[in-house]
Amino acid sequence: MTTATWYLLLGVIVVTIGALRLLTVQDLVARLIALNITGAGSLMVLVSLAARSEPIDPVLSALVITGLVITAAFTATAAVLIRRIEDTPDLEDGEASS
Amino acid sequence: MTLAEFSTGALVLTPLLSAAVMALCTHVLRRLLGVVVAVLIVGFTVPVVIHLGSGEVVEVDLGAYGAPLGIVLRADGLSVLFIAMTSLVGLGITAFAAATPEATGERIQANGQSKTEHAGFWPLWFGCWAGLNAVFVSGDLFNTYVGLELVGLTAVGLVALGGQKSWPAALRYLFIAVLGSLLFLVAVGLLVSVTGTLDINQAAQQLTDNPEAAGVATVAMVLLSIGLAMKVALVPMHQWLVPAHSGAPSAVSPILSALVIKGALFVFLRSWLYVAAPAYSPALTETSGEAPLNVAEALSIVAWVFALLGLIALIVGAIMALRQTRLKPLIAYSTVAQAGYWFLLLPVVFMPTSASLGDPGVTTFDASEVIAGALAGTVGLILGHGLAKSALFLTAGYFKELYGTEKIAALSGEARSHPMMVMTMGLTAIGLAGLPFSLSFTGKWQLTSASLAGGHYWILPVIIVATLLSAAYLLRAFGPLMMDNDQENAAHPELHRNSMPVVAQVAPFTLGVLTLLTGFMGTPIFDLLEVGAPWS
Repeated sequence: MTTATWYLLLGVIVVTIGALRLLTVQDLVARLIALNITGAGSLMVLVSLAARSEPIDPVLSALVITGLVITAAFTATAAVLIRRIEDTPDLEDGEASS
Repeated sequence: MTLAEFSTGALVLTPLLSAAVMALCTHVLRRLLGVVVAVLIVGFTVPVVIHLGSGEVVEVDLGAYGAPLGIVLRADGLSVLFIAMTSLVGLGITAFAAATPEATGERIQANGQSKTEHAGFWPLWFGCWAGLNAVFVSGDLFNTYVGLELVGLTAVGLVALGGQKSWPAALRYLFIAVLGSLLFLVAVGLLVSVTGTLDINQAAQQLTDNPEAAGVATVAMVLLSIGLAMKVALVPMHQWLVPAHSGAPSAVSPILSALVIKGALFVFLRSWLYVAAPAYSPALTETSGEAPLNVAEALSIVAWVFALLGLIALIVGAIMALRQTRLKPLIAYSTVAQAGYWFLLLPVVFMPTSASLGDPGVTTFDASEVIAGALAGTVGLILGHGLAKSALFLTAGYFKELYGTEKIAALSGEARSHPMMVMTMGLTAIGLAGLPFSLSFTGKWQLTSASLAGGHYWILPVIIVATLLSAAYLLRAFGPLMMDNDQENAAHPELHRNSMPVVAQVAPFTLGVLTLLTGFMGTPIFDLLEVGAPWS
């Protein structure tokens, strides 16, 4: 196995862990972090796929850069929403019980 | 650059630019600009449709860099039908929102009072529209991903306009939508790593030429299907949809239900029928003799799983809809149910002639005819749903704005005071249940006959049961409104506001009428779909 393949496997594991945590945890901030980990894992998969060819595949690298921008965008949106929800006490309780 | 090429680009860039400009305008100016831009978009749709009508695909190489390096916009039959539906529905929703700004959301002012009007609706809605059109005309998988993210994030913002109560629903939607997109992104990465290109047509060609890419492509198709099915809210991944769609402001619910989920659905159909099917469907690869059989088997299992989930969605969604007492959740569950229809075609596409039947004997259909027919039927159902569902959600929004309630029991006997709105509901019910002569009926007919021609007899009972169930919950919603109140001074719901503008009645009514009118246009619509299809 080459280094790139190891990274590929690692990326798959990170995605799986992140997605499982995202679907099972209740706490909103923990969910957001799990989503970020899933995102990081999927970008890692893309990078390691790019690294398997010589020279490194520029198309896949470009995907990763755009993916990073989108990750930042959704993290910010989610963080704003979470702050607003947790500033409203009754909403927070409602979410925890559902 | 011809007019059709210009318009294809303008369909994406006009709403995007206007969203940016709107963010700088005052509220009144936003409404005005919104109507102007919506009319412009409908105007840009016309030359593209006309060009496609002549049987040619519109292709634009932005900056004259060809694929795989450059960004290619490509409008084929499938794209242009989705664009046309989005333009019509979008214009109706824009008119409704411009006429009743109270329907655009709820915001908390500095003094702590909440005000039912949200100027943030306009940039978000046009950003969403730009994303949808970008998805529809994108010639490569990566722009598709970017378009989907734009749609997803603006849709989350739109849900959040509903005020405090809708924030948890918005956040939940965001988690699901982003997770779905990430799965799609990984699938795109896998496809690129075996095909070396992002361009949709080139990728399909590469998969056909390299049988050894089949294993990775199968994994990619599975990931992509799960990710997109999350965004379309296929059962059992539908839980997020109902709070998000029913809790959103009146002008936002139709956007979400009629348009936003169609973006992901479009990509789903594009990947299965235009990328995977030409390479792996046994029916289409027979001629080339290179059919990798084990892959075809693996993909047909996936196809059956999704069709089965579609069947479950049709039943579960309808039963849940029957149990609702308020209009908007009922309509939202009806979306969950209808989503089931759109996945039934997969087994038909992957096994156009079912082996269990033996020789059908009477007529023999070409496999490509069966596939084209099944897709045409499904697209008919999708377009019909878009028109009818937007009209229905706008009607529900109309009553909610007028009376401040959407409880079905409280609205009984409304046919007398609002004949036009109740008429609209009747028209959309015909459209959603798929009774003749709506577009959904044409689509259902086409899908069923194509499936039967392909030897898939199971689809007949499925369609019949689904139609009966949808008629049941739609009757449950509209029956009370048609009923005459027996008591003379029956408790009429208290008016939330004195009157509604005429446009707020005309917009949903026009969309409702369109669900019927388009039913007569089945043949031109299905001919358009053939343009640029891999099997024609």
